[in-house]
Amino acid sequence: MTRLAIKAENVWKEYRIHHNLEGSSSSFKAVLNAPFNWLTGRNRKYSHLQQSEQFVALRDVSFEVEYGDSLGLVGRNGAGKSTLLKILSRITRPSKGKVTLYHHVNALLEVGTGFNTELSGRENVYLNGSFLGMKISEIKQKFDEIVAFSEIEQFIDTPVKYYSSGMFVRLAFSVAVHLTPEILLLDEVLSVGDAGFQHKSQAKMKELLGSGATIILVSHNAQAIRDICKRAIWLDKGAIRMDGAAVSVVEDYGKSVDG
Amino acid sequence: MGMINPIVITAPEKIEFPDLKEIWGFKGLLYFLVKRDLKVRFQQTFIGVFWIVLQPLIQMLIFYVIFGILVQVPTDGIPYTVFYLSGFVAWQLFVQIVNSSAFSLLGNIGIITKVYFPRLALPLSTTIGALIDFLISFVVLLIFLLANHYSITSRYLILPFLVLLTLIFSLGVGLLFGALLVIFRDTKNLLGFILQIWMFITPIIYTISIAPEKYRIFFYLNPMTGLVNAYRWVFLGTNNLPSAIYFTVSLVVAIICLLAGMIAFRTMENRIADVM
Repeated sequence: MTRLAIKAENVWKEYRIHHNLEGSSSSFKAVLNAPFNWLTGRNRKYSHLQQSEQFVALRDVSFEVEYGDSLGLVGRNGAGKSTLLKILSRITRPSKGKVTLYHHVNALLEVGTGFNTELSGRENVYLNGSFLGMKISEIKQKFDEIVAFSEIEQFIDTPVKYYSSGMFVRLAFSVAVHLTPEILLLDEVLSVGDAGFQHKSQAKMKELLGSGATIILVSHNAQAIRDICKRAIWLDKGAIRMDGAAVSVVEDYGKSVDG
Repeated sequence: MGMINPIVITAPEKIEFPDLKEIWGFKGLLYFLVKRDLKVRFQQTFIGVFWIVLQPLIQMLIFYVIFGILVQVPTDGIPYTVFYLSGFVAWQLFVQIVNSSAFSLLGNIGIITKVYFPRLALPLSTTIGALIDFLISFVVLLIFLLANHYSITSRYLILPFLVLLTLIFSLGVGLLFGALLVIFRDTKNLLGFILQIWMFITPIIYTISIAPEKYRIFFYLNPMTGLVNAYRWVFLGTNNLPSAIYFTVSLVVAIICLLAGMIAFRTMENRIADVM
């Protein structure tokens, strides 16, 4: 049995950025106008096809994550952290290269994905859980635990639109961490709820790690990365600048930001 | 827990087909999506379920007054109420599936960019929702049919097959539009007009018998023509059940639409998270 959880081989991601005058990504109007503009010579140098440019979000990124490992991703805004997480969570696909996932992955890029405010807390737990790939039986089995963790027992049958934002976030986060994922991808979601709840979430993360789960965490919070992750990767302009022990990567990254 | 077959993520191919086996694994999600849509719809609309009943009835009433009483379009001797209602019940199923599938990618962009699931689950869930609406308006139609002394016959046995064929074609058209909307955002206003024109080239407010025999094949290139005629044959016993050749043409067009729609949708779902 392989001990690998994730293997990324020469992953590239390129986005095409459009510069249409209308501001939308592309329009039917532009296509209809293109031959007309070409004939009249108007806007010839800004023809529809030339109005886009490439943006490289990830450049030849390769790494391996072992099962049970905890990896932090650091880097400036636009360094490619979120893009990498989106590829690992299968939301978008790479332009080149290959990623192999050896275990079941759950991504938590946002708390409360698919929550509908018209529905009750109970209904949202089932809906959100099934969006995250849980089976109905699994959700049923964990339901009480999810509700207890979120601390909103008495409001579970109330429509979510009457929840405070704190209640909403606690319930959403609670569903996510009870997924028993084998690989958990997290994007800055540790900073939800009040201090007490944050403490509880960090403890839950460590419990997941203790149970052998693999965690990849994107955070601007150096302390969170040092606390939770053993290893860290520093992304700079889409490429890996440093890959090593979390403590030293976070330290070097911190120096580059301050300097 | 434990090992799964490794999932390999690579660059999208030029042409891909949706992984139908994977969607089966997400049947729980389908169930909750359908339940959510039903619940939200009924909670938000004051008159709830009556709206589904009212929609075809109001439409029928408008056409009854305009084309029945004022213009007096011939209906081969069939009472206007059941003539229009039987057409609209079928047409409503088509329109609802096309509209909801067409907006399933753009309308759920917030979820699509945050969590992975087979995107086809979105139009499939609204298709099931449309089917539930169809069943409700079908009951209304039955009441009108019985009131007009029509009886339920063995012709009703082919109804499930007609509904299935309607689903195949509508979903295909809806997925094609869904893909188109991702590329060209400004086509979304066009869809309403296209559907309106489409309704008038489909024999809903008139009968196919007004079209000369040599041009009928063009009508049947639109699978909705054959379907609406077949629904009317089931409900009203009209003798305009399409011939085998016409029916085959419609069937082939419907299946091609579904396959093309699935490929187009799959291709666009790869792109939608990037173009935002």
